[in-house]
Amino acid sequence: MVRVRLIYSHEVVDKPILASIILRTGVPVNILEAKVNAQKGELIVSISAAGDKLREILDLFREEGVQVQEIAETLRIDWDRCVACGACVSPCPTGALKFGEDWTLEYDESKCIVCKICVTACPLRAISVPGTGEI
Amino acid sequence: MRDEGERLRAIDEINEKIKRGDAVVLTAEEMIKLVESSGLEVAAKEVDVVTTGTFGAMCSSGVFLNLGHSNPPIKMVRCWLNDVPVYKGLAAVDGYLGATAMSETRGFEYGGGHVIEDLVSGKEVILRAESYGTDCYPRKYIETAITLEDINQAVLVNPRNCYQRYDAATNSSDRVLYTYMGTLLPNYGNITFSGAGQLNPLCKDPNYETIGLGTRIFLGGGIGYIIGEGTQHSPGAGYGTLMVKGDLKKMNSRYLRGASFHKYGTTLYVGIGVPIPIVNIRVARTAALRDDEIFVNIRDYAIPSRPDLRPIVKRVSYAELRSGKVYLGDKGIQSSSLSSYKVAREIAEVLKKWILEGIFFLTEPIETLPREGELKPLKVKGRELTVGDIMRRNVITAKPDEDIRDVAIKLVEKGIDHLPVVDDEGKLIGIVTSWDLAKAIARGKRRVEEIMTRKVITAFENESIDVVARRMAQYNISGVPVVNRMNHVIGIITTNDISGKVIGGKVYGEGKTDLFS
Repeated sequence: MVRVRLIYSHEVVDKPILASIILRTGVPVNILEAKVNAQKGELIVSISAAGDKLREILDLFREEGVQVQEIAETLRIDWDRCVACGACVSPCPTGALKFGEDWTLEYDESKCIVCKICVTACPLRAISVPGTGEI
Repeated sequence: MRDEGERLRAIDEINEKIKRGDAVVLTAEEMIKLVESSGLEVAAKEVDVVTTGTFGAMCSSGVFLNLGHSNPPIKMVRCWLNDVPVYKGLAAVDGYLGATAMSETRGFEYGGGHVIEDLVSGKEVILRAESYGTDCYPRKYIETAITLEDINQAVLVNPRNCYQRYDAATNSSDRVLYTYMGTLLPNYGNITFSGAGQLNPLCKDPNYETIGLGTRIFLGGGIGYIIGEGTQHSPGAGYGTLMVKGDLKKMNSRYLRGASFHKYGTTLYVGIGVPIPIVNIRVARTAALRDDEIFVNIRDYAIPSRPDLRPIVKRVSYAELRSGKVYLGDKGIQSSSLSSYKVAREIAEVLKKWILEGIFFLTEPIETLPREGELKPLKVKGRELTVGDIMRRNVITAKPDEDIRDVAIKLVEKGIDHLPVVDDEGKLIGIVTSWDLAKAIARGKRRVEEIMTRKVITAFENESIDVVARRMAQYNISGVPVVNRMNHVIGIITTNDISGKVIGGKVYGEGKTDLFS
């Protein structure tokens, strides 16, 4: 699974590109975040594919005029700031943030869907999402 | 049977042993294990001191400052540190900086708690002060940068810290709540709680036999003292609190952290550890209380009433809360703490080390904490306005099968914007606004039921105006039907009614720097 940012220019923002690519390839694409208006659109999606299949899908987006950026990082946690209070643990919908054996906070990036509920839930402001301009 | 209160050792004897380096000191977790493996009597005989710890958000915290005199001097009438207002109802250069005071430029993101943390970590802080000028203090304005080292005194004095235990929180409503108990997801989406349970200082001596005025403690990484019961001390129900003080200059920012609760405000995470001398078997027994023997209520924060009136959803132990899952009926709900068990444990360890190294001695309290007393609510004099006082009772309603053109005429003739839709029995089943009608006509719809909103936000006649005004702001709507318990429409209230009739009534905005506009 990989997360990418899809940037739609005003020329293509009104086209059902994502839906047609899902139909053509049969690969599920999960929309994590969407900002769309008449001028442009920006989607953050996770694609359940790898290797050649993934490359094929990304090329299809590019052919349609959509800019594709891979998102390597999900959450950035400032471990010096984190006090392992747990305020982010119960709001986390996927269990990506949880306590370890010694009550230290643990982060499992593969489970994170970047819903960002933890960003505001953290009283120490130790969690941010790079590139989204969030706190 | 042996008398549980029979004296096993005096504080002086313990201090002698600390001096000799042979005091037996365990953390509360270690004490629990010892009692489980060797029994209470053996543990009570062997152990001199049990150390405790907690590290959580404690809003009633702050620091008394003496900033020193400039030349020419100023009688600081208003004063800010990093734009956070300092209480100045004291002498010329004395002030009190509270943890929840918020920055006038950064709002929810930076407050008194953060300034305290910055000072303790040695950072420079901008001091700004204003005055009217007097014969003895001619200066009217000052702006300078200070560090903790520069100022004469900085004494942490916290009116209420270290709750014995604290009720947990959940949310039955259909939207996310941002509270001082953290982020509460809709439909009982999660449960948050606070306090270290089996490590919590006051839980380990709930009869307050060894804790009181003059007890020396670990406070914010330095030495502090208990100076009495805290505000809202409510021992009858098991919710005791402490008032504490200590020299901020000797503290450590690892155990004093500024924090922000989203859309609530700023606070200070404070680390406290209290040594419990095992003076008798009763204290040994309570010092070994486990998470599964300490209970709190889970309360529903969706009900915007007084904390003690919020409905109790369930009574649970700290063990259940800490397990990460609490069952409400057959539904498992994720639970997590807001206070750090990891740091609480670390504090109990540090305090144990200090005692073992002979650098921390115990004190006999001059007066133990009060064992009786309950919490009083604030009485509101006079009668406050309720929805029933200002709602309009002659409500114009519509039926689901009415033609929207007729409905449009009704709205125009009566000069109204909201039209509740009722069934034949007068029960509310939807609402139509003038905006809905405009859209419907544009899209060629015909009947009311095709366009009405079915999930209607409502109010009750006896609800407070503040509560209903906040509800309208949250859902971004300008009017709500008032219904009785049978869901019959008995009135309607709009934002216009409120602003027109409630003079001086304030509706608090969300997420703005100007919090009260």
